[in-house]
Amino acid sequence: MAILTIKSLTKYYKDLRALSEVSLKVKAGEFVTVIGRSGAGKSTLLRCVNRMIEPSSGLIEFDGIDMRSLGRRDLRKARTRIGMIFQHFNLVPRQTVIENVLHGRLGYKSTLQGSFGIYSDEEKSHAVDVLARLGLAEQMHKRCDQLSGGQKQRVGIARSLVQDPRLILCDEPIASLDPSSAKTIMDHLHRISRDMKITILMNLHQVDVAIKYSDRIIGIREGGIVFDDEPRRLKKKIVAEIYGSDADDILFEESPE
Amino acid sequence: MTTGRDRIRLRKPTASSVALDLTFLALVGLSVFGFFAIDTKGLKTGPAAAKLLSDLVKMFAHPVAKHFSLAEAIWAMLLTLGLAFLTTLLGAFLAIILSSFAAKNLSKPAVSNALKLLVAFVRAVPTILWVLIFAIGAGLGSVAAVVGMTFHSFAYLLKAYSESFEEVGGDVVEALKASGANWTQIVCQAVVPSSMSYIVSWTFMRFEINFANAVAMGAAAGAGGIGYELFMASGFYFNIGEVGFITYLILFVAILLELGAMRLKARQHVQR
Ligand SMILES: Nc1ncnc2c1ncn2[C@@H]1O[C@H](COP(=O)(O)OP(=O)(O)OP(=O)(O)O)[C@@H](O)[C@H]1O
Ligand SMILES: [Mg+2]
Repeated sequence: MAILTIKSLTKYYKDLRALSEVSLKVKAGEFVTVIGRSGAGKSTLLRCVNRMIEPSSGLIEFDGIDMRSLGRRDLRKARTRIGMIFQHFNLVPRQTVIENVLHGRLGYKSTLQGSFGIYSDEEKSHAVDVLARLGLAEQMHKRCDQLSGGQKQRVGIARSLVQDPRLILCDEPIASLDPSSAKTIMDHLHRISRDMKITILMNLHQVDVAIKYSDRIIGIREGGIVFDDEPRRLKKKIVAEIYGSDADDILFEESPE
Repeated sequence: MTTGRDRIRLRKPTASSVALDLTFLALVGLSVFGFFAIDTKGLKTGPAAAKLLSDLVKMFAHPVAKHFSLAEAIWAMLLTLGLAFLTTLLGAFLAIILSSFAAKNLSKPAVSNALKLLVAFVRAVPTILWVLIFAIGAGLGSVAAVVGMTFHSFAYLLKAYSESFEEVGGDVVEALKASGANWTQIVCQAVVPSSMSYIVSWTFMRFEINFANAVAMGAAAGAGGIGYELFMASGFYFNIGEVGFITYLILFVAILLELGAMRLKARQHVQR
């Protein structure tokens, strides 16, 4: 069953068409990566899903909800079920790890409780569990500005997990990490999609990483989908088409037929 | 190879740098002209300078407290500090509430611009003028001083806070918005905590400014405190030694405040 259906999604920034007539379906629990050169419209696509960017036209259906029809209150409610992970982690540096993780619960709370940071015991123990699963139990009370990049990204993952999401959007989650932390992060995200049946929609710059982890790869070029299939179908020629003239520099192993 | 004729320039002259140079030259010219054009009305420079020196020596080498005891002086100082503290606190309170409406990343452009324009106007008018304006309604005294100083502090801090909100908050605001948190929650849980170090330093800086203001208000607006004693000593009793004594006292407190500010900064650096 499709958890996310996008039909004829188009986005204009003034005169610039960033997305044109994009249509795709993502099945529940699927791990989908979006590749494309810089400026192709990957971030725009991702952010249209939770309407952090307002689409110009088209349909976005998440978990049976028509996202574009929602008012502000309902949109916030829908967003609680969509986690988001960022290249620069987007944590509050001066707060502790556990405080940052609990921010993921704000959407479920009343204004007053949320504003004063009052969380129930269940929420707190859930946060502790999630942190332990990501190997951050020891760091719980550290301030986030004392963590390494890889640890910060794991806090970001934890924050989205306590949202109890059905879908996690990842905008270049490993772009500012060293290769070993990047692998840890990808392994965690892979486990999350496999074991918790949470759908992952991720933008990536590394084609080899996309091939290794994804169930499906979507290639976009100049705002349109040019490839949408299993990783093993991604051939040199198609990569060249997605990346244009930059393709020579791209490292990846074509899978044997 | 560069000869003396065509040296390599580090900057090309632009319209604004030329204007700046011309302004500077004009100011130098005016200063020199002004010095020669002063009408001294038969004042002899030599004896006048000697008198000034002897008065300064009397002021700072023989400080005395004649019309008040030390306890009274300290009390007056506390009054001045209290005025500075109260107005900073009130201003900070108002500013912190409204600055989330003035920050571009948290507010509608129209609201943000309107607020920023308003406080730019309030800041452009000096504190002392606001006190005098409020004195029309409240009469010259402590009420006018509190209201006027609070008003200017509020405008100053609103600008400072909202700019740090814009600078610091961006990323986290995006993350929490995406998770379904509402505006108030985002401001309280993410924006304010992220900019706490800025808030603390700006507020303390304003407290130092307000201390100086409070001294001046005591003298000029009859708000009491050490400024009033200074005013009385210099303009009423003509007691130069007393002026010296009060000046030392103010200097002492100002140095204490400066030390406090330095420690605050150092601590935040360690925390970072
Ligand atoms: N807020 C905006 N206003 C105007 N144009 C924008 C805005 N955001 C993105 N664009 C433009 O839309 C196009 C797609 O941008 P987008 O950020 O989606 O690309 P991307 O694939 O994520 O690129 P990157 O790999 O560099 O992150 C680009 O041409 C970009 O310049
Ligand atoms: Mg991007």
